[in-house]
Amino acid sequence: MTAVAQHLRPPGQLRQGWRRLRRNRSGMLGLILITIVVLTAAIGPWLAPYAPNDQSAMLSFAAHGSPSWAHPFGTDRNGYDVLTRVIYGAPTALAVGLGAMLVASLIGVLVGGISGYLGGLADELLMRLTEFFLVIPVFVMILAVVRLFGIVVVGTWLERVPFLNLSTIVLLLGLFGWPPIARLARAEFLRLKGMDFVEAARCIGAQPRDILFRHILPNALPSLGVVIALGIGGAILSESMISFLGFGDPKAISWGQLLYFNYQVLRVSPWAVLAPGGAIFITVLGFNLLADGLSDAFNPRLKQ
Amino acid sequence: MTDLLTVDALKVHFFTQSGVAPAIDGIDFAIRPRETLGLVGESGSGKTMASLAVLRLVPPPARIVGGSLRFRGHDLLALDATAMRGLRGKSIAMIFQNPAFSLNPILSVGAQLIEILRWHERVSRTAARDRAAELLRLVGIADPLHRLRQFPHELSGGMKQRICIARALLCNPALILADEPTTNLDVTIQAQILDLLEELRERLHMAMLLVSHDMGLVARMAHRITVVYAGRTCETADVRSIFHAPLHPYTRALLDSTPRVDHDYGHEAHPTLRTIGGRIPNLAAPPSGCRFHPRCPEATAECAQLRPEPIQVAPGHIVSCLKRGSPGVPNAGLPTLGVPDAGLPTMELPAVGLAAMGAPPVDPTA
Repeated sequence: MTAVAQHLRPPGQLRQGWRRLRRNRSGMLGLILITIVVLTAAIGPWLAPYAPNDQSAMLSFAAHGSPSWAHPFGTDRNGYDVLTRVIYGAPTALAVGLGAMLVASLIGVLVGGISGYLGGLADELLMRLTEFFLVIPVFVMILAVVRLFGIVVVGTWLERVPFLNLSTIVLLLGLFGWPPIARLARAEFLRLKGMDFVEAARCIGAQPRDILFRHILPNALPSLGVVIALGIGGAILSESMISFLGFGDPKAISWGQLLYFNYQVLRVSPWAVLAPGGAIFITVLGFNLLADGLSDAFNPRLKQ
Repeated sequence: MTDLLTVDALKVHFFTQSGVAPAIDGIDFAIRPRETLGLVGESGSGKTMASLAVLRLVPPPARIVGGSLRFRGHDLLALDATAMRGLRGKSIAMIFQNPAFSLNPILSVGAQLIEILRWHERVSRTAARDRAAELLRLVGIADPLHRLRQFPHELSGGMKQRICIARALLCNPALILADEPTTNLDVTIQAQILDLLEELRERLHMAMLLVSHDMGLVARMAHRITVVYAGRTCETADVRSIFHAPLHPYTRALLDSTPRVDHDYGHEAHPTLRTIGGRIPNLAAPPSGCRFHPRCPEATAECAQLRPEPIQVAPGHIVSCLKRGSPGVPNAGLPTLGVPDAGLPTMELPAVGLAAMGAPPVDPTA
């Protein structure tokens, strides 16, 4: 191997963790499920048999159609092709999960990192703030904000922002989803800042920036990854619930919304509910299994 | 010869919620260029804290509250944070006692060595790598280019300590602080590492502060020895005087409790290995007067009241003991009005750089 390729290989601990993850059956299953969802989101729209908003089945009295060659997952009460809608739901779900967790991890790592690294009064204040956010009934809050915001924007330029409603949900999920990440980040920073190698870095003249971003944060990433993976699954589930209650983005195609449109006709066309339900199940299960696998792979006590 | 580093009446106190613990209350030592000074004392006597204080890195809640630290004539306590960072790792480097934990587990050895050079000397990546490889070769590591790409968990303990030594030497420091560098290594590796340190110190013209509780190790390595007890200096002298004519009762007790191969234990002359009775005091409430007096075989009533000040009894032989002629100072905190250091000593650390002091910047290559 050339020196360049050697230089580019992932860091030792991560490589070891990856090796252990590959031996972890449920973790790998999770990774496979997630890969299926990601591939569906990436190339699905080109493979989908119909346009996402094609309701023509309605016109030919083919709504509630049971699965057939023309409509593998059947059609729903609005005449949509269920398979197409489920495929188009995948990018939405991933955008919600990743977007919400991106916001949550940024806030969480920042708050928890400062808290753990500085300690003292800053720690005390930030942790009380974290606890405050932890006890807010997130779900009620999001439903209220989404509805109020939906009313407030009527007639303003904001109304023309694409996927405004969905972005609001993502942002809110992130804004209320950071406390667990902050708590873990605090614990990790607290643990790592006392480690000898951090002390050693300080003794060789490292700046606080290098200590934080080169020595502490990368060592905290494995455990943060576990919580973030769990959080992605959780965020997707939350968005589905919000959509299921009818508070979702009418312009976005979301699995929860498919359930919302069709749960009343469960007995007439169960496929229209089972397909998006199954998609939610697979995705959330995938992220949870991955999180489980990650925590096993990076748990030093399980090293064999 | 002028001293490279002078530590004078260093005071490091712990500011805890239950009060102030004067953990270090007057440690003095000086290191001359190219010499090894052994800093010896029991666990908890403030040896490690004193060496961290030299880098101004005492961990909170401890703070340096008094004394002076002079390195090449510059007052280290007056340097600003940037100037101090420039000194750490470049002019003064440190080797830790646990090599297993003093390397970052997720960075390759090379990355950790190269980053220091890039911080301190602004050299290119290739030049830094060459220098790192050269140093690994210097500390006796074969195939350095391969080792640079490895991660700490792929290396043995002795290898890691060699790498820590290489890291300390990267920028040609004038002073190495070695904090029990061999405590966590097995005996054969210990000998190798000590030989290596001694050889490198000689070859690279460095001075070394060797912190240890192992009298045998210090006897072998050091030119001069400073004995500390409970945060105060007891005695400083060259190796011969410490081992053949120790003055301070604590030094004597320490030597008596070191096993010797030429003593046949279990017979009349040496029935058992002697120990020092009692234990090191709780530094949150240290004994009054001489801190060693509760355990000292020679202690008298005045030892409990007067703090011994260092006195030079022979050229280069300094001792702090009332029984050896040290002047006594009434204890701080006792009702002795007019004593200047009654109450908590405080000290202002002005935030000025070397330039502001009108002094030339520290030259690492000098």
